[in-house]
This record gives sequence, C-alpha cells and structure tokens, in this order.
Amino acid sequence: MPNFLVLLVGELKRMVEYKIAAASVVVALIWIGILYLTEIPDITFIFPLLIFVDATSMAILMVGVTIFFEKQEGSLRAILVSPISKTDYLLSKVVVTVTSSVLTLIVLYIYALLFKDINLSLIGLLSAVILVAFFHAQIGFILSYYSRDFTSLLVNMMKYLFIFFMPTLLVYTGIINHELFDKAVYLAPTTAAMTLLNASTGNVESGDLIYALAYLGIGSVILFVFVLRLFDSFAAREGGV
Amino acid sequence: MFEVRNLSYKYPRNREMTIRGMNFDIRQGEIFGLLGPSGVGKSTTQKIMVKLLTDFEGSIYYRNRDLKIYDKDYYQEVGVGFEVPVHFSKLTAEENINFFKKLYKNQADTDTLMKRLGIFEDRKKKVSEFSKGMKIRLNFVRAMLNNPVMLFLDEPTIGLDPANARILKNLIKEYREGGGTVLLSTHLMNDVDELCDRVAFMANGKIVETDTPQSLKRKYGESSVEITYVKGDNLQKKSFEMETLSKNNEFFELVRNEKIVSMHSKETTLDDIFIKVTGVESYA
Repeated sequence: MPNFLVLLVGELKRMVEYKIAAASVVVALIWIGILYLTEIPDITFIFPLLIFVDATSMAILMVGVTIFFEKQEGSLRAILVSPISKTDYLLSKVVVTVTSSVLTLIVLYIYALLFKDINLSLIGLLSAVILVAFFHAQIGFILSYYSRDFTSLLVNMMKYLFIFFMPTLLVYTGIINHELFDKAVYLAPTTAAMTLLNASTGNVESGDLIYALAYLGIGSVILFVFVLRLFDSFAAREGGV
Repeated sequence: MFEVRNLSYKYPRNREMTIRGMNFDIRQGEIFGLLGPSGVGKSTTQKIMVKLLTDFEGSIYYRNRDLKIYDKDYYQEVGVGFEVPVHFSKLTAEENINFFKKLYKNQADTDTLMKRLGIFEDRKKKVSEFSKGMKIRLNFVRAMLNNPVMLFLDEPTIGLDPANARILKNLIKEYREGGGTVLLSTHLMNDVDELCDRVAFMANGKIVETDTPQSLKRKYGESSVEITYVKGDNLQKKSFEMETLSKNNEFFELVRNEKIVSMHSKETTLDDIFIKVTGVESYA
C-alpha cells in the first residue's frame, strides 16, 4: 500500500478512535436542529450559510485537533522520523478534513430534501465545499504551527473568525450595508468562500463567482506551498529526540 | 557508518552556537555513546543526524554519502528510539506498531520483539492503559520495526525496572552482534559501561574526549585500595596505590598487625570521568 494511503487510513481510524468523527456528527446534528427549528419552508438561502460555518471553522478545528493530539502524545515525533513525505502527511489530513465537510453537507442536504424545500445545485455546492474546506485546512495548519497548545489554537482561531468571518456574515445578512464595507470584505477569504457557496443558489454574479474561484483556488495553492515550507521549522521544533 | 566533520549549529533564535565544530566517527557495528550534561547539544546533534535539523554547518557522511543527499528513504534504514512515549494512546499497541510498520519496505518480526519485551500479551490493549515502562518497551519495538541498520537511542532504559532494563540491554547487544550500529545517548553510566564500544563526552558544544570506556578509565584512572582498620578506639582509613601494592611494605604491615574492618578496591568510574572531562561538578 503506498504510504499516502497508509497515512490516510490511519488518519481516518484515529478520527474514529479519538472521537473527532463523533464530534463532527454532533455538529452536523446541531445544524439539523437549526434547520428543524427554522420556520421558513424554503431554506435555499440559509443552507449555504450553515455549510459556510461548517466548512470554514470545522476545517480549521479538525486539522488543529489532529495536530495537537499528535503533539501532545509525542506520536508526531515518531511520524517525523518515518519514511513519509511532508506532502503526503499534510495531504492526508486535508483529505480527511475535506471528506468530513463533504459528509456533513450530504447529511444536511438529505435532511433538507426530505423535510424542507431546497433548490440549489448540489454539484456546485459540493465543489465549493471541497475548495473552501481545502483552503481553511491550510489556515488550520498555519494556526497550529504558531500555537503553543490547543487553547492558544482556539484563541488564534477566534481571532481569525473575528477578523474575517464576522464582517462577511454581517454583510451577507445585511446587518451592515455600507458601500465601502461591502467592498472591503472582498479582501477576506471568508467572503470568497461565502460567494462560492452561495453561487450554488444561482444568486451570484459571474464576476463575483470568478473572483471567488480565483481567490480560493490560487490562494489554496499559495497557502499549501507556504504550509509545506513552514513545516520544516515546525518539525525541527516539535521533533525532539 | 557516520563521519561528522566540523559540525556546527545555531538555532535561529539563539545568539550563540549550540554545537561548535564537532568531529567524530561512528563505525559500523559499534555502540557509540554520546554523553554530556544537559543542554550541551546531544539532542541537537541527534536531531541533525536524524535529519530533523538540516541547516547545519560542516559535513556529515552516512555510508560515504553526504547526509543532505538522502531524502525520506533515509528513514527506511534508520530507527529512532525516543526517551518519552511516542504512541497514539487511543490505539492498541498492535495498531500502533502495524500503522508504522506498513510505512516500511523492510519489516521486522515485531511479535517476537514484543514477546521478548513482555508486552505481547497486552498488544490488544490501548496504549493509554500501558504503564510507563510498557510504553518505553513499545518505543523500542517501534524503533526496531524496520530492521534498521542504524539505531539512534535516547535514554532507552530510563523508566524501566532492572529486569526489563536487562532484557532491553541484551536486545541492544544482540542487535550489535547482528551487525547493527547504535548511537546511544544516556546519563546512566552503568549502561554506557556495559553497552558502549566507544564514547564521546561533550562539553560546550564540542567533543572533548572520545575513546573506549576501558581506555578512558586507564587514562583518568586512579585505582587504589582503601583499608579501614581499628586503631585504639577509633576507625582509621588509609589508601594505597593499586599498581605498587605488591611492593608496599606499609600495606602488608597494616594487614598483618591491625584489625581490618573493610578493604575496598577503588577504581575510576565513568561517572568520575564524566565529571572531570565535562567540567560539571558543582553549580555552587
């Protein structure tokens, strides 16, 4: 079995054993609860918002949790002196994180189909989730590299959400409606993520869609290269012999 | 196996060099002890040699090739044994070993190793249920699971009871007898005395002495015999040079005429040499 597959299977197994998968299911149930409590029958425009919260914050959190478990238990040290490339190691975590976001989407979509009215492109939403979760998994790596422990990871994640997530939400929900602010939020990756997810409803202009695709696509590649480069100093710091 | 020349390293955030021009060789089939006080650079040296730190000065040749040329496949032939547990605690011992084993082309008979180390019966238990000693023994199995040709061991017997430490030391000796090479880092001079073919003492980021334990004892040796005897109502002590003992009349007079309480031969230990060559005696 190629080492990437060994890492991937190991990552999935640990997701189950360390109850990370269970936590992910609980979060999905919370989203279902929110949909259940929503009195609006047609949830087409709320649905991307829920997926947005999941694919951004959960992706950061899942990557961070797996890295901190490995750091805390010392198993990261054993991994660092094993015959695996850093690309394989990092990608295995990304694939599992993206898979979790995709599964959440599928579960929520099935619920919405059965119990609510929904009218959006599943393929479009699926593609958007993959790209958004991939991008935010990279954010998860960077925050983990610069966080001493899990608490400081959570603090750093809150900072990220406060700086990028909140303005996007405020604009999307119409709470803030100012031309300058509307333009400024285009700088945030969360706005690109929201635009891309929202595109599945067919309610996004093509210029915005292209911008969001380019932002997250090019941004993901740049971030992944950055994450790979930073990994060496992270490994030297954490790989005490 | 290894040729290390003018090895120097400075951590990016440090002002001073941690390692300053180290030179040493590790020969194939030997157990080489790297000794020195805490913070002297032993771990940094090992981190460099296991390729966790790469931006060093100087050169390291492993099997006549520059270490920098080796990629991740380097780990196919080396094993690294850590001082602290390095396992996934919510997986069983067997799951841990099998996960890592699948990453290697060459796979050891880990069941036999686990049996030898007394953890085979507990292989289905989660590592979180293991005692510290069991985790340390599992560390050794992990380090050996690819039948390495070069083994890096950091304090391998710390946390083990004497019986299990004996088993592990026997396994290390067997590994050497089978042609394996070991870089051993430890503070336990008994382990060094028993296992190491050659040792290097580090001080101030440099190697200050390299030799076999026997030669070092000869070099720094002050072997003597200390006699405690009764003189009047008091106990008295007197030391005699071991080398000239057979011609020392005072010694024979004492043995003949006085009531001897105890007689001990005193040899220089590696502990004494450690303190002497590394300069760590007292912080007062």
